[in-house]
Amino acid sequence: MSYYALLGALEQGLVYGIMSLGVYITFRVLDFPDLSVDGTFPLGASIAAILITNNFNPYLASLFALLAGAFAGIITGVLNTKLKILNLLSGILVMIALYSVNIRIMGQPNTALLGYDTVFTPFENFFGLERFVIAPIFFVFVIVILVIFVVWFLHTDIGLSMRATGDNPKMVRAQGVNDKFMVILGLAFSNGLVALSGSFVAQSQGSADVNMGIGTIVAGLASVILGEAFLEGRSVFRAVVSVIIGSTIYRLAIAVALSFKIGNFQLNPSDLNLITAFIVTFALISPNIKKFIRVRS
Amino acid sequence: MIELLNVKKVFNPGTVNENVAIKGISLKINQYDFITVIGSNGAGKSTMLNLISGSYIPDVGSIFINDKDVSKYPNYQRASYIGQVFQDPLSGTAGSLTIEENLAIALKRGKKRGLGLGVKGADREFFREKLSQLGLGLENRLKDRVGLLSGGQRQAVTLLMATMVKPEILLLDEHTAALDPKTAAKIIELTEYFVNEYRLTVLMVTHNMRQALSLGNRTIMMHEGEIILDISSPERDQLEVKDLLEMFARVRGEDIVDDKLLLA
Ligand SMILES: Nc1ncnc2c1ncn2[C@@H]1O[C@H](COP(=O)(O)OP(=O)(O)O)[C@@H](O)[C@H]1O
Ligand SMILES: [Mg+2]
Repeated sequence: MSYYALLGALEQGLVYGIMSLGVYITFRVLDFPDLSVDGTFPLGASIAAILITNNFNPYLASLFALLAGAFAGIITGVLNTKLKILNLLSGILVMIALYSVNIRIMGQPNTALLGYDTVFTPFENFFGLERFVIAPIFFVFVIVILVIFVVWFLHTDIGLSMRATGDNPKMVRAQGVNDKFMVILGLAFSNGLVALSGSFVAQSQGSADVNMGIGTIVAGLASVILGEAFLEGRSVFRAVVSVIIGSTIYRLAIAVALSFKIGNFQLNPSDLNLITAFIVTFALISPNIKKFIRVRS
Repeated sequence: MIELLNVKKVFNPGTVNENVAIKGISLKINQYDFITVIGSNGAGKSTMLNLISGSYIPDVGSIFINDKDVSKYPNYQRASYIGQVFQDPLSGTAGSLTIEENLAIALKRGKKRGLGLGVKGADREFFREKLSQLGLGLENRLKDRVGLLSGGQRQAVTLLMATMVKPEILLLDEHTAALDPKTAAKIIELTEYFVNEYRLTVLMVTHNMRQALSLGNRTIMMHEGEIILDISSPERDQLEVKDLLEMFARVRGEDIVDDKLLLA
């Protein structure tokens, strides 16, 4: 694997790590399998793209992307908690609705950002470095801030209630917490992060596309599960960090798989879903493999 | 004071499964009452407690807590008044959170929750002191996940969580039924300790007849969604287990007896 490919994989691991943090909040904290992320990821990209191409400040554009994602998360939550639609279906409804919405937002299925200022531009100018160097460093900073923020949040009074809601809603209600509100809040938080991730991906790859959200949920889950396989840990801090590690490992694994060449045979990007399925399967059965090895020896 | 006025609860109304679980009961629970509740399976004991806690909303009738009509409040809005311990020891705590995190959630019952740190340094001292009252050594395990505790330990922690912020009423629904006899005795001992220590008002469902008469100051018997006996001390002190069993047999129009009751 080349130096460029390695940096690229690291960058992707980090920027998609933001999305994976969102998936961690719904899947692991709230125990809510939220599929709306396949729609909120390109939603974030679309919002950022349309604002940036209209010469908005890219930081403000990213913030609006985050807010739009949070709003979509609230809709998923309301469908589920207030209108009593099954959680999976609530997410699917928002996901497919957003496909149309995203095209409306951009006025077309994709938008190029080449030549426009992005969140990286100030740093590119200041340090005089190329984007492929700046972006990973930028994302390291963003990830560190977000990890601290998420870990802190999950230890606040509201955060404790949210974690308990995913674990035991009956107990949480008996202690005076509105569990439905916690679900809605968690979905807003999660989809806000996912949309922010989408807006950053659009800015780093130079375009937004309605189809860029396909498989977001699978990639997010793969990261969460891989992270858990590599860093067993019960504390919230370890769990949150493991999500980022999982996301990075996932992107590296894909990069490695794509660089394999046996004779004339080479995997190509359309094999990505197959690779992902293998990776997730491996991560899911790895605890059993570990146990099996331990029992044998 | 808690008052139920002509409260009725119907499950699955208008279907073939329609079930009138509570048939218009009225009950006045005075401050410092410790009421034991008995009755056969399906009598409506749990449903009555769930109506008081707000887990169910009555179809007819009203529920007052300190003269405030809370009939339509969902349970999380009534939680400031109510402490609950359930039959299943896993129900009252969140297993993936630590002991101190569970206690922190309980410490905020009925209060606004914000973005302040859930467990503060000063809280830990308080939690340690409270946990040491349980006599289970849990005061040294604040950072252990509750999922690591035994059923009895979890039930003791739940009891603590239900009473840490003093409730207007403590609702205990067969809270020792899932425990082994030794552990159950320990939980009953703790229950009495907390009730006396904080002067609590209690409604406790039990299927142990002897316990029903030995604990508290008042006993009610339920049958098919109605309260068929409501007796307080000193009259209650004359009552014996066999009197209760006879009463059961009479209301059911049977010669005794559900063997579960005899075994109790
Ligand atoms: N959630 C529910 N849905 C339908 N029926 C219920 C529900 N809860 C209780 N019931 C019915 O209401 C009646 C009273 O139940 P319950 O209050 O649990 O009795 P007890 O606690 O005295 O054993 C029973 O016939 C039971 O089947
Ligand atoms: Mg019951």
